[in-house]
Amino acid sequence: MSTLDLVQLSKRFSGSVNAVQSVDMNVHDGEFMCILGPSGCGKSTLLRMIAGFEMPTSGDITIDGDSVAALPANRRPTAMVFQKYTLWPHMKVFDNIAFGLQLRHLSKADIARKVQEALELVSLAGYEDRYPAQLSGGQQQRVALARALVLEPKILLLDEPFSSLDAILRVRLREELRRIQRRLQITAIFVTHDQEEALTLADRIAVMNAGRIEQIDAPAQIYASPRTLFVADFIGAMNLLSGTVTNGRLAVGGLHLDVPMGAPGGAVTVAIRPEDLAVLPAAHPEAWSAVIEQISDLGHYRRAILEVGAGSSAFTMKMYLPKSFNPAEGSTLEVYPRRYLVYGGAGAAPFECVRPLPSEALTV
Amino acid sequence: MTTIRTEGTSFWASTMRSFAATVRRDGFGWLALVVLILMILGPLYSVVLWAFAERWQYPSLIPTEFGLRFWEQTFARADIAKALPFSIFLSVTVTLLSAVICLPAAYAFARIKFRGRQLLLLSFLATNAFPRFGLYISIAVIFFRLNLVGTVQGVILIQLINTLLLMIWIPTAAFQGVDRALEEAGLDVGASRFRVFTRITLPMVMPALSAALLLTFVNTFYEAQGALLIGLPRVVTMPVLMYSLINSQLVTQYGAIVSLVLWAPSLILLIVAQRLLRGGYLTAGFGV
Repeated sequence: MSTLDLVQLSKRFSGSVNAVQSVDMNVHDGEFMCILGPSGCGKSTLLRMIAGFEMPTSGDITIDGDSVAALPANRRPTAMVFQKYTLWPHMKVFDNIAFGLQLRHLSKADIARKVQEALELVSLAGYEDRYPAQLSGGQQQRVALARALVLEPKILLLDEPFSSLDAILRVRLREELRRIQRRLQITAIFVTHDQEEALTLADRIAVMNAGRIEQIDAPAQIYASPRTLFVADFIGAMNLLSGTVTNGRLAVGGLHLDVPMGAPGGAVTVAIRPEDLAVLPAAHPEAWSAVIEQISDLGHYRRAILEVGAGSSAFTMKMYLPKSFNPAEGSTLEVYPRRYLVYGGAGAAPFECVRPLPSEALTV
Repeated sequence: MTTIRTEGTSFWASTMRSFAATVRRDGFGWLALVVLILMILGPLYSVVLWAFAERWQYPSLIPTEFGLRFWEQTFARADIAKALPFSIFLSVTVTLLSAVICLPAAYAFARIKFRGRQLLLLSFLATNAFPRFGLYISIAVIFFRLNLVGTVQGVILIQLINTLLLMIWIPTAAFQGVDRALEEAGLDVGASRFRVFTRITLPMVMPALSAALLLTFVNTFYEAQGALLIGLPRVVTMPVLMYSLINSQLVTQYGAIVSLVLWAPSLILLIVAQRLLRGGYLTAGFGV
């Protein structure tokens, strides 16, 4: 039942690397916040500052309104699940989980009961007497989760805890973590570079790049309206095309799109999701002619790589083919961008354009 | 004539063939075992026999009279009664001092990135890069000027130098082997740095530390060259005494008995090392 606030938090390492730059973030009570970004973007440093393993260069960290920035790691009400396996190899599972409780001088009976509950929570009851080396990677990370949860921390921190597990196990543990977090209603911060993980787990996602937060929003919002070009490119599949806006017309490689009043002028980038490209059965003044370069059948949908336009101004785009539409590679088709985002100058919010869909159009 | 030679050849050939077959069938292990037994037990055989021989005259293959008379005589000797406790005192003192000096240094080498770290770590090899005896002689010259020759302090110092490499390199590697994240996980559940060290880091490096301590103890106990050069004439350790007993005593039994007594530490080392490796988390991962 806790909130976390980061205020203008920055970390500068001695090698003059600005790992984290002026991060503001408010995590609500019981919220599952994912920090998502490419490796080296500062997301782990941010988490380690919250845990107390790195001291911020400037800014503040508050939990339930109280600053913890000056507290050492062992006095913060946070608990962390690490990326690497960090169970203590010389202690049995029971002692690994009990260690933090023993430091708090609980009675033997209380410790035994709490360890038991924690193990049941992560579905590992009966494993008390094993050594970590006798557990699989997935079991070890579950014990690590139990070790963190047994202390009833105000904030649960997770630093890519499943990244060293195989894909199937990763998905299963992810779902289990979500279930446990919902049940305990604990405030959690989860760092990952895996967007699928972030999109499935998070209440909100903070997308980080080069030490800065690019956008904090709910997964659907991040996907539908990426606030910056970086987010547009990083999250999901996206066609990014450079164009120019003059007199309310947007020129993209010799082709045109409408832009409503108020759109930015000059050089812009247009972002179109593959699923926002509709297919028209016949030539249409607002559609683009394209040649299908390649079709990949991915089972639940087919992805096509298109060559759009002609000559030196031609460009490639990705799209998903509608179910009832079965063209061959090398055939031509008419694509109609029904929704796109126009990014103007650096840092400015995108301008969203939605066009009416002709009744004869085929969509995914 | 020809027949006999043929028979002889075939006899040897068949013997060699059957031996080769045995080696092939039972593997190389048997052969190695036999060679090892001969090489290790052969010399020991004569030492053990001598230690318990009351009398052993030339043509006999085993002593003509067995007995413990010389054991009493050996331990009744004033030089042995003095040297044995001193050797134990020296080994314990040097091991403890070395631990006090080297273990914090090893922790620093493993955990702190400072300038010249690699060079300094390598410099501990220097004592092994030159012939030991030459090194001892030049040290003896310096010690002589410092009035350290023939003193207990001098012998302790020379032995300490011998322990540096082992007591810094093994623990440094051991501390480096403890992932920092394991220590951070300890801080994370609320342990103080001191408690993280005593409850997490130390138990994890304990097998390696024990090995280093035991090796240091045994090495110091057996070291003779340095002790001889720096200690004589007033400070005499067991190995130094053994040299003189073997070289200048008419009674062979003294040397044999002292050799057997000097066996004890390495035997104890072996047993303790085995205990350390058996049981506990080290073997848990191997499904033992």
